[in-house]
Amino acid sequence: MNPAPRCPTTACAPPGGPPPRRGPAGAWRALARNRMALGGLVFFAAFAAFAAFGLWATGGRAPLFDPARVRLEERLRPPLAPVSPAADPEGAPPFGRYLLGTDDLGRDLFARMLEGAWVSLTVGFIAVGISVAVGILAGGIAGCWGRRPVRRGTGLAAAALAAGAVLAAGGQAAAGLLLIAAGLLCGLRGRLGRLRPRPGPRREEGWLERPLLDVDALIMRLVDILLCFPTFFLILTVVALLPPSMVTIMVVIGLTSWEGTARLVRAELLSLREREFVDAARALGVGGVRLLVRHLLPNAMAPVLVTATLGIASAILTESALSFLGFGVPPPHATWGNLLADGRRYLFDAPWLTLVPGGAILVVVLAFNLFGEGLRDLLNPQARDRR
Amino acid sequence: MTAFIARSLIEKLVTLFFVTVVSFLIVHLAPGEPAQVDPLNPKFTPEMVERFRQAFHLDRPLPVQYALFYRDLFTGRSVSWKDHRPVLEKIAERFRNSLPLFVVGTLLTWTLAFPVGIRAAVGRGGAFDRGTAFLAYLLISIPGFFFAYLLILAVVSAFSVPVLGMETFGFEGAPLLNRANDRIWHLLLPSVLGAGSGIAVLSRYVRSQMLEVAHQDFIRTARAKGLPEETVLYKHALRNALLPFITMFGLTLPGLVGGSVIIESIFSWPGLGRMAYEAILARDYPVILTLNFIAAVLVLLGTLLSDLLYAAADPRIRLA
Repeated sequence: MNPAPRCPTTACAPPGGPPPRRGPAGAWRALARNRMALGGLVFFAAFAAFAAFGLWATGGRAPLFDPARVRLEERLRPPLAPVSPAADPEGAPPFGRYLLGTDDLGRDLFARMLEGAWVSLTVGFIAVGISVAVGILAGGIAGCWGRRPVRRGTGLAAAALAAGAVLAAGGQAAAGLLLIAAGLLCGLRGRLGRLRPRPGPRREEGWLERPLLDVDALIMRLVDILLCFPTFFLILTVVALLPPSMVTIMVVIGLTSWEGTARLVRAELLSLREREFVDAARALGVGGVRLLVRHLLPNAMAPVLVTATLGIASAILTESALSFLGFGVPPPHATWGNLLADGRRYLFDAPWLTLVPGGAILVVVLAFNLFGEGLRDLLNPQARDRR
Repeated sequence: MTAFIARSLIEKLVTLFFVTVVSFLIVHLAPGEPAQVDPLNPKFTPEMVERFRQAFHLDRPLPVQYALFYRDLFTGRSVSWKDHRPVLEKIAERFRNSLPLFVVGTLLTWTLAFPVGIRAAVGRGGAFDRGTAFLAYLLISIPGFFFAYLLILAVVSAFSVPVLGMETFGFEGAPLLNRANDRIWHLLLPSVLGAGSGIAVLSRYVRSQMLEVAHQDFIRTARAKGLPEETVLYKHALRNALLPFITMFGLTLPGLVGGSVIIESIFSWPGLGRMAYEAILARDYPVILTLNFIAAVLVLLGTLLSDLLYAAADPRIRLA
């Protein structure tokens, strides 16, 4: 018997099977054709290398480029200005020149840009990591177990728990703890009751066991609620009320931007789970989490990857906007947003303090956006033909 | 139809209720108490703080505070903690300032995005298409505040006109024509900035929508009938490509409140966005919560409006 011919292209993929995947060689060829995406990737690689170099060059006891060294006699030097011979030679930048000039305290702008690159990169990736993780979790649950009902008892228990937590945090510890205990008890009782079904004829469903709404509706209503908040205003409020730190900013950006991913994953799963390869997997006895993680999610990843890439761009922009308004990553960390915000006071005297960080943010965000759009074309060949 | 409106109104009211709860909790569970914003200020004696707490119900349990706050909001009695003026009055005043910015920005966006997008779709792959594509990515990627400073640098040095604020200080007595000219110069930069990324996103969307429609069978039929290309493009393709934008029009409503924090701060424009920023800085909870409430109402209204408009424009869609 002849072995079945291997499918070289997407054209002969069976209609019920999982979406075809291209080998890495094909992806490279397609990427090489899309020059904007390739440019984005190259710039992104350069940025990552710059950030990694910055982490090495500005850290340690005696860094190569010292972002914190203040030299008041060398204020506002233009780019490529040589270090004056009178200045303290210790900790002077290499080549004896300030590559990008100095700021109002005589700190080396190039060193500060090096330090800020790493911060921007971290903020972008971790914030998007959080948002993608939450989005996949919520979308996965809604898409995979969406038809399971939430029973009235469960809803009541959750409401009691939430109200208790609010009361406890709001100062009424006793009442709050009582409610939390009641909620836990209520929830546990429901669990145990279901684990050990009583023998005998099936009971009528009690009031508590009637379905309230299904899991899918619950998660999607939650997304609707979050979408009612103007995102930047919400981020600004939360960041302003919490003590400033880099972690807060990453978490807040991450937790306020997962709705898109959740909707995307849910929609993909709803369409994927009607395909025949899922039936095949089910027939082989694959179920539950394994079906989701091994079969469904990998096939739903393509659009998520695109959203994540574009999300990094917008997270970097959001961080710089927050820094600009004074709620960003607190000093001594230099971020590109901070540098830009500090530089605006010298817009006319030392324009490089504005142009360098602003231009850097522009280039990096542009690279991420171009690469994300290119990725969308790569991963979705049908759409490419239409563009 | 009536059933649809009634049901979605109820759904949206439930959503709105949860939004109010969540925003109230976010503001009130954050560490630090509004009564102690300024602990070093000698005027803030313990008695003052106590009076303040009583005046704004801060000594009551949280659920009671919640009920009292929204009762005050709906009866129009809630006042700003910063200057004790009624919140709704303050918002109405700022809204009047934000409105021209919003209207001019939206008009610019919608009048520029469509011709650009259609032209790019018609000459797909050509110089205009690729040029506008890159320009669009550039506009999406540029940080708004950086762009603002570039524009300020350019306009101030090229035309030497003042652009910060709503009008030039001390210009009140000037003749009407000069004042109008002055106002237009002040309005121009912030609205161009506000429209910039909108034009970029919308024109890309118009383009892809046009291309999407251009591949459908009825377009091929129209060409096969021998219709002139103009008619095919502008009568058959464009009309169908326009449908989704009717829904987008409803979704621009929330931009009234949240869209312009940074631009208004840079240009010292006394609008809603700047007011939100100032309220957050001062922890002026009534103002923050009211703005949030209005924004949520606008979002929900916008989605309802876009559903209805879509049903009105597209006979294939039935709301049930």
